[in-house]
Amino acid sequence: MLNVQHVSKSFGSLKALDDINFTIPNGHILGLIGQNGAGKSTTFHSILNFLQYDGEITWQDKPITESVFDQIGYLPEERSLMPKLTVEQQIVYLARLKNKPAKEIRPQIDSWLEKFAVKGTKKDKIKSLSKGNQQKIQLICTLIHEPKLIILDEPFSGLDPVNSDLLKQAIITSRDNGASIIFSSHDMENVEEVCDSLVMLKNGRIVLDGTVGDVRDTFGKTRLFVTTDWTTDRLSELPHVVSVTQREKNRYLLDLDDENAGKNIFNALTNGQYIEEFSQQPPTLNEIFRMKAGDRNE
Amino acid sequence: MNKLWIVTFETFLRQVKSWGFVALILGPFVIFGISIGAGYMSASGADNRDNIAVFGQSELRQAFVKQNKDDIDTSVKSIKSAEKKIKHNNLAGYLVLKTDNNKISAVYHGSDSMSNSLKSKLTIFTTTVQQRLNYTSAQLSATQVKSLQQQPEFKEVITKKTGTDNLAKMISFWIMVILVYTILITYSSITAQEIASEKGTKIMEVIFSSTTATKYFIGKVLGVMMVIVTQILIYLIGGWGMFAFAQHSELTKDAISQNKELISSVLHNLLSINLVYLLLGVVIYTILAALCGALVAKSEDASKAVQPVMMLNMLAFFITFPFHNNMDSLVVKILSYVPFFSSYFMPMRVIINEATPIEMAISLIILIATIILMAYYIGKIYQGLMLQTDDSSFWKRLKRGIAYNK
Repeated sequence: MLNVQHVSKSFGSLKALDDINFTIPNGHILGLIGQNGAGKSTTFHSILNFLQYDGEITWQDKPITESVFDQIGYLPEERSLMPKLTVEQQIVYLARLKNKPAKEIRPQIDSWLEKFAVKGTKKDKIKSLSKGNQQKIQLICTLIHEPKLIILDEPFSGLDPVNSDLLKQAIITSRDNGASIIFSSHDMENVEEVCDSLVMLKNGRIVLDGTVGDVRDTFGKTRLFVTTDWTTDRLSELPHVVSVTQREKNRYLLDLDDENAGKNIFNALTNGQYIEEFSQQPPTLNEIFRMKAGDRNE
Repeated sequence: MNKLWIVTFETFLRQVKSWGFVALILGPFVIFGISIGAGYMSASGADNRDNIAVFGQSELRQAFVKQNKDDIDTSVKSIKSAEKKIKHNNLAGYLVLKTDNNKISAVYHGSDSMSNSLKSKLTIFTTTVQQRLNYTSAQLSATQVKSLQQQPEFKEVITKKTGTDNLAKMISFWIMVILVYTILITYSSITAQEIASEKGTKIMEVIFSSTTATKYFIGKVLGVMMVIVTQILIYLIGGWGMFAFAQHSELTKDAISQNKELISSVLHNLLSINLVYLLLGVVIYTILAALCGALVAKSEDASKAVQPVMMLNMLAFFITFPFHNNMDSLVVKILSYVPFFSSYFMPMRVIINEATPIEMAISLIILIATIILMAYYIGKIYQGLMLQTDDSSFWKRLKRGIAYNK
């Protein structure tokens, strides 16, 4: 279990992290979201002990020092490998630094290349691979030594949907094998799909924390999807309707300021008659992100 | 395997497998090979061009040829063919030796005048033969002949082999300082480039999530050290091979046997504790170069980063110049204890046998202690330096790195 307790970090007068608390149990995926500069990478760097910080971070109840480095798999935000090495040399070198013997790693390389559908062979030089394939090699380097704590900084950036699915599958497999995983992403769909819980940072502070379902539910079911022949103006005049967005002909999305208004709106729209669509839902993670990121009072 | 050794061997293998290293190693051997080849070609080409043919009275001819085999082309059998060869620049000239009424005459025909060395050999030869003829025709008694053959006596009484000794010291000095300078410049540059190229990438974050920065840094320095040890070993073995070859080569064996004492003296000066100073000099400059490499913002700036190391190295190198004739001066003594300078100045004292073992030991202890302290301290701030990738100023990055101190 990764335990982050009361962690704060300042760079001069800038408070990069302000009393951050969260835990990631074994076999659990946590998504760390937030705008650029919110403190995601600083959180990762603090966990990895790259920075001196206030507070406490422990892994399996021990401080993160060299003794636990072998259990960590880390993918930095900016991709980087040693361009002059071959794929095999790169993977073996980084795995050996995780105390995995070369003879144990070498036989696995081909199957990992296949698993991530890498276009190239293990004898190819890193610099000869495309950017996307280099990224896959780096992911392999992060995961091949079967780490128990996986830290992925923007792992989906630059990947197409097919490769994103491959990565998601690899993350889920690692979780199922008992790893604690934390990753950052700007793609809320990925977070929603893969994460067991999430933490949202804003200006170095946690503004959201919990499971995806819990977080969405705290915002109430304020999104109303309806299909009606009412006009936009007429829908806007309904009580507690904040905004109306026409999605298709006769299909609208109504934002409410009170989820309890749904029943009255339903009655008004149906008037005892059949209605093709009436669905009241909480906001999506993307919308919550936008709301929270844009909330200046936080 | 310990992570430090993994980094060490990775650094070592990456360096020795590079074309730069291969070129560095092969360079001196290629130059040696080219010099030998050029010398051989020039010598064999010059053989006939500089030689002469000899004709005339058979006994005289044979006696002269016997004494001057190297200067005479015996394959030329006639004056006509000699003239033809001279015309085609394949022969320097031909000499006709005759005796007429007990008088030796030597007539030289050539496109240019006879070389001075051959001319003096010819003069000695003709004088000796003429003298012998004179004695015979004068019908002198044995005692008279003996009296006439008396020669003045000339002796050299030399108290010390100062000439060779001074020359050996001078040669040793120049070889040593140029060797140290070249190797330090090369390895400082390689190290700074290597570190800076890593800094420009985020691979360091991955590496620091696997091992400590101190281990990584020391592993890098040890890797470079292994490279230089390999280079020195190759040079020693190759140098020994070249020397063995030169001792037996027609072209060089005479020169080597004539200067055996000088060569042995120079080798003795070089293959001594001076090699330890060279090695430790590389280590201390490498550590400084690594620090400078870690201070750049991106790999393209590596050449700028290595400037302070280059400057320091050049300063030490140029300070040695005024002392090549005065290696026992006080300045040399002082600088032989100062790290970064001692790799130049203690070998100078060793060359003139001026440094005592205790003085050498003190100087080595200071140098090794400085290396350990520098490696330890830079190892501590290395992570802070390497993980800074912003474009702030050199001093700001250094200040932040020093403040990091994990």
